[in-house]
Amino acid sequence: MNKTLLGYVPEQSPIYAVHPFVKLFFLLVVSLFPMFIASPEWNLALMLFILGLMWLSRVDMRVLRIYVPMVISMGSVIFLSYTVLGGVHPEFGLAARIAGVNIYWERIRDASVVYARILPMIFTMVFFLSTSRERDVIVAMRSVRIPFVVTYVFAMALRAAGMVLEDFQIVRQAEQARGFDTAGKSIPYRIRKYVMYMIPLFALSLRRSEEFANALLARGYAFTGEASRVKRADYVLTHYSFRPADLLLTAAIGLAFAALLVLRFGFGYFELERSWFIAWLKTALD
Amino acid sequence: MAPIIEIQNYSWRYSYAKMPALNGINLIIEEGAFVGIIGPNGSGKTTLAYSLDGLIPSQYRGIKQGAVNILGREVEAYPAGALQKLVGVVFSDPEAQFTAMTVEDELVFGMENLGLSVPEIRERLEWVTELAELGHLLEKPPYEISGGQKQRVALAAVLAMTPRVMILDEPTSMLDPVSRKRVFDVLVRLKEEQRNTIIVIEHNLENLASLADRMILLSNGELLLEDETHAFFEKMDLLLENGIHPPGAMLFIHRLMQEGYYASRLPLTVDEAAACLTEVVARLKPPGPASSRG
Amino acid sequence: MATHAPSIPGAPGKMTAEQIWSVEAGERRPVGVIHIVILALLIGIGFVVGAFGSISFPLGFGVNFFWTGIAVQQVGAIWFGAWGVLAGTIFPFFSNAVAGTPFYISLAYVPANAVQAFLPAWAFRFFKADPRLQSGRDYLILLATMIVSSAFGALWSPLVVLRGFGLLTTESVPLFIWGWFGGNVIAGLVFNFILLKALSGVVIRTPSFVKRWLS
Repeated sequence: MNKTLLGYVPEQSPIYAVHPFVKLFFLLVVSLFPMFIASPEWNLALMLFILGLMWLSRVDMRVLRIYVPMVISMGSVIFLSYTVLGGVHPEFGLAARIAGVNIYWERIRDASVVYARILPMIFTMVFFLSTSRERDVIVAMRSVRIPFVVTYVFAMALRAAGMVLEDFQIVRQAEQARGFDTAGKSIPYRIRKYVMYMIPLFALSLRRSEEFANALLARGYAFTGEASRVKRADYVLTHYSFRPADLLLTAAIGLAFAALLVLRFGFGYFELERSWFIAWLKTALD
Repeated sequence: MAPIIEIQNYSWRYSYAKMPALNGINLIIEEGAFVGIIGPNGSGKTTLAYSLDGLIPSQYRGIKQGAVNILGREVEAYPAGALQKLVGVVFSDPEAQFTAMTVEDELVFGMENLGLSVPEIRERLEWVTELAELGHLLEKPPYEISGGQKQRVALAAVLAMTPRVMILDEPTSMLDPVSRKRVFDVLVRLKEEQRNTIIVIEHNLENLASLADRMILLSNGELLLEDETHAFFEKMDLLLENGIHPPGAMLFIHRLMQEGYYASRLPLTVDEAAACLTEVVARLKPPGPASSRG
Repeated sequence: MATHAPSIPGAPGKMTAEQIWSVEAGERRPVGVIHIVILALLIGIGFVVGAFGSISFPLGFGVNFFWTGIAVQQVGAIWFGAWGVLAGTIFPFFSNAVAGTPFYISLAYVPANAVQAFLPAWAFRFFKADPRLQSGRDYLILLATMIVSSAFGALWSPLVVLRGFGLLTTESVPLFIWGWFGGNVIAGLVFNFILLKALSGVVIRTPSFVKRWLS
């Protein structure tokens, strides 16, 4: 199994045949798609497409469980924000009146559009995180010539995040060994007690900074001076080659985006007026 | 052999510390020597290691007196990153030394800092991987391997930079006996095959005593004793007074020496001790009746 | 020959706030690898702590009822100057990403997070407030900067970002403004004071502590 930023992917996954730059490009470009698509059915189709890619990449789909509560709560917030908190608009069509609050059709429509936009954006990010190893992200950044210090800070930050999580477990176990546990306690209690975790976590990280710095210096790394201007071999890039298939994929993503823009602004596709989902929703609510 | 390290009347006091961590140290280390440094906790061993690598005074605040010269040049005179091409340090906590995603990246990092080309990196990578037996670990994250493997990775990562001086600060303190032996096996190979100057700071002397050409005793920041290894351990009373625990076999023979049963060279290994004991037993055994046949 | 002796008189416990922030004549404070490491570590800590807050107390779109990341953002910036500000600007991007906030929305939050990190760091240096919180004035400066910076963040993010992306109606913006503001200030009240009080004495003695902005 290969460990990605969000979990594990089997070693035989086809995703590893894709150059890390392509995955980064996919994230950056496809995240923009929903911004230009108003029709919910198209955005939902995009979301399903991304989920399909995750399945094809043999990602453990159970990773999505983490996001189910968040997706539901976000949807609730959007709908509440647009409907109950949507204000008084006599110019809108009244769809329902609940406990003295007017629920307008236009607000339901807008909430549906917004929610359908957010979902593929979220899953594009989840797809990237669940199919990219830490090394892939570094390689993607180095491929586009992002300065080494930036990529190295990013790599160290990921490493630090892992160590903080380990430290958190250790500190928590130490506290539990002292008979101190937050399980089953109230939220204010937990919040008070998490402060007791934060202090040793910070202290551990500060001590670690000195050790890390010594280790970097001992390996000849310098941030300033002549040593910092050494031309680096980027050995890790020798394990990855940008093949014709990667070029094709990159081109396909770019062309898809261009086609989207042309269809949207040139021919009016993906607009609300053409959405059969919105038409169906209106019929259903009437 | 020309001296590679020369320390002249060196003292270092950390800021906010009342007493110096090192006081009036004078030391010369020849190139190619394998030197062991021992001493109780707080004796200044790590401070000495950091002083040789330039971490002191560049990374720590304090007051320095005297000079620490590597290849005839003061450590402070080396530009940032230059001294580390000559002096490599392996720290006691391998976890704290890893900043890369895979073992291979960890091994390569130092070489990239030196500005080596891809073919050179590949060649050295192959060499250290074989030396430290890391071939099957290259793709693994360094924090997911065992303690002994981690320390071998740390050792190999520094070795790949081919420093002229390698300093190992308690490299086996967090390891089990088997892992400890494997690390020392690498050091044995290094001593036999390379001409690096190797300085090992250790508490556990079982493996160190047989490898070191010279030994140094530090206590309370002062250099109490420095000598060729056999002669060093002859001063057993001084070592015991300063909380040093020589290998059990050596101590045993020393007791025999004190009792007058043995008066020759102190053994450094169990095999040598067994040979000593055999000699003692042979001398003590009463002559038996002459054997007759027939 | 004595070298590298910082001429800070007395033990750290007796240092005044003025002395903490002042660079003595002849004192060398080079920018070094330690600062890069601090930057990376703060991003790492913030990533974990911020994601915890984002996942545990979500309002939506990365806005949280109780955002624990504020502690790393503001305390880190006070201690480590520009490195802390940079870390405080960057890490929410990652913690929000893991919590499911879309890429470009997280990116658009950057100015809010930058101000939230910068203002306490600037105020402590400009007004020579003691990071160990020795007097009422120090507490007041911290509280004021927490409130002002979170207010900016609360106005920028829901108003400019979320409204700009069309994710909120005008009428629901106040909920998110108060959610952002309250989520930061309350978490800051819980964590910032205690962290500064407990650890500043140790941090100011380390070579990573930043007196000016870079070193």
